[in-house]
Amino acid sequence: MVRRSFGGDDHIFVEFDEEMNLAATFRAMAVTATLAERRIDGVIDICPANVSYQVRFDPDLVAPQELEAELESIEDGVGDGTGFDLRTTIVEVPILYDDPWTRETASRFRSNRQDPEATDLEYAARINGFDAAGDFAAAHAGSPWIASMVGFVAGLPFLFQMVPRERQLEVPKYLSPRTDTPRQTIGHGGCFGSIYSVRGAGGYQMLGITPAPIYDPTQTHPDFADSLVFFKPGFIVKYLPIDREAYDELTAQVEARRFRFRQAPVTFSLGRFLADPDGYNRGLMEVLDGG
Amino acid sequence: MDIRSPLPGVFYRRPAPELDPFVGVGSPVGPDTTVAIVEVMKQFFEVKAGTTGTIAGVAVADAEMVDAGQVLFTVRPG
Amino acid sequence: MAVSVLNPGLSTTVQDAGRPGYYNVGIPPSGSLDQYSSLAANLLVGNGEDAAVLECTYMGPELRFERPATVAVTGADLPPRLGGEPRPTWESFGVEAGDVLSFDFLRSGARAYLAVSGGFDVPVMLGSRSTYALGALGGVEGRALAAGDELPVGDADGAAPGRSVPEALRSTHPKHREIRVMMGLYDHRLTGEGRRAFLDAEWRLTTLADRTGFRYRGAALEFRERVAPFGAGSDPSNIVDAPYPIGSIQIPGGVEPIVLHRDAVSGGGYVMVATVISADMDDVAQSAPNSTTRFVEVDLDGALGARRRRAARLDALREAVG
Repeated sequence: MVRRSFGGDDHIFVEFDEEMNLAATFRAMAVTATLAERRIDGVIDICPANVSYQVRFDPDLVAPQELEAELESIEDGVGDGTGFDLRTTIVEVPILYDDPWTRETASRFRSNRQDPEATDLEYAARINGFDAAGDFAAAHAGSPWIASMVGFVAGLPFLFQMVPRERQLEVPKYLSPRTDTPRQTIGHGGCFGSIYSVRGAGGYQMLGITPAPIYDPTQTHPDFADSLVFFKPGFIVKYLPIDREAYDELTAQVEARRFRFRQAPVTFSLGRFLADPDGYNRGLMEVLDGG
Repeated sequence: MDIRSPLPGVFYRRPAPELDPFVGVGSPVGPDTTVAIVEVMKQFFEVKAGTTGTIAGVAVADAEMVDAGQVLFTVRPG
Repeated sequence: MAVSVLNPGLSTTVQDAGRPGYYNVGIPPSGSLDQYSSLAANLLVGNGEDAAVLECTYMGPELRFERPATVAVTGADLPPRLGGEPRPTWESFGVEAGDVLSFDFLRSGARAYLAVSGGFDVPVMLGSRSTYALGALGGVEGRALAAGDELPVGDADGAAPGRSVPEALRSTHPKHREIRVMMGLYDHRLTGEGRRAFLDAEWRLTTLADRTGFRYRGAALEFRERVAPFGAGSDPSNIVDAPYPIGSIQIPGGVEPIVLHRDAVSGGGYVMVATVISADMDDVAQSAPNSTTRFVEVDLDGALGARRRRAARLDALREAVG
């Protein structure tokens, strides 16, 4: 089932599965974490993704076939990923659902959308069988999400909700992409959520917005002293629904460079999660409340 | 005398699809007369005549791709 | 401040050898798209190989030098003028305080590189001065140059004007190119017919050709029927979002392949069917809209051989000019 391919003479690409599933995500994280620890000369970029990973390397320093053999041995050691304990971070992300800014943006791209008469949130609720937008939002914020990949553009997390397949929220992307999306929009497309790190083009339905920056090239916000990107692959997100008043208060904190994410270190075990997803998720969220 | 494209891209004779062409055969031009738009990387660049005279010929069809330096119009001096 | 921007040109950015190591969080390598020409420009003015240059796309800027320097223009054939007088490309020349450098129209290629002795000394971000505009990172405030910008220049080691790249080591820019690729990634999603069409077609570069990617037109490619896997979109060209190699060729909707370059989006949900080999990325960079390209398949050994020949050519350049 594992499929390997060279991407030119300086990338190797490995796919664990064609369909999204957490076991494949964990295998990618486990293999790439192990590879990073080995500090192999000539390895330039190690990119874990949803069901695959990629290594960019300098073939003058490490022979492509040797690197491939190394990866194969790491993959064998990792197995199906259920034994891998991911040491990561759980973070609370405040979200204002159905906010005026993404609403206004959606209204500018009527012809790109499946249901121009509804908001993106209403459309998402309807096609997932919820009676009201609020019920969709409750499901969206009710269980945590894992950053299964960071990329597309700088610091943008792809988020996969950690619930059984039958409870996954699925929403088609826009019929054709928008040329504009507000910064820090919380989007959903297919089975993935995302937080837009920068303003720009996008195709995910827009559910809401967070006042918290997740990319700071100026590194002037307190959470960005060490890195201009907040999210790392494997971060776990718990959404905190907020109202407009709280949004404005948090925005003032952000502007004063006082805002800090609530976050805590956590170890995630795929095996224990799969045995009891809801119970395990409750435990995860308590880590945040305890910290 | 020729007016050449300063850059590669798509040649547009009109400021917008529903509007008249900037110039046609017989139009008088001066150095700063806008004669066309060339689009590349979603940026629109106004092409100036750069000379004084009368448009004698249009060398490229509207919305066709052009190379940098390609002749767009011929101009009769004067 | 040593260089004033009077007119920025169409899209002129500060670039260098690039910013490797951050692709896993979506920050691409950036740097000069045509690394060969960028290196040549630095060598001509006596700079180190990691000095920052200006990458001028399709059109040159107009710059005023506030102090004497040695400069060189390489890459695309974009003829420079100093105070209105023609100056050569692939050859260093001196400028005095107050001199204005401008450019004629592009003759061939797409991107010219302008080096100044001492290098453009904008702040180093994550180990590089390169501009990554999508992430507002590096260069001048993370963006292309604008009129009124003042560009700082580092201290020069005193390179003399008059250095020249031998004719045989100068890049040429034909209207038609053969770009070598390795098939792979998701090429199994193409039908046999789709794969043949990809390699047989004469692809014409559209105007959507920037630092992120180069979009071509020329044939519709057929994909195999399939049941959409969970998490992939419904179109046959969709996949569960995956990393995109630099140089990979994706085909949204089966039409208009896109070659990703050094400001690539780092991942996404479109099938990639091939990757341009590292030795040919400079050639992609010099392809202008309306030029044509055929993608020619090579295997890994072929790609590594081409890479060795390119390295030898870089060494010859260092030998001849450095």
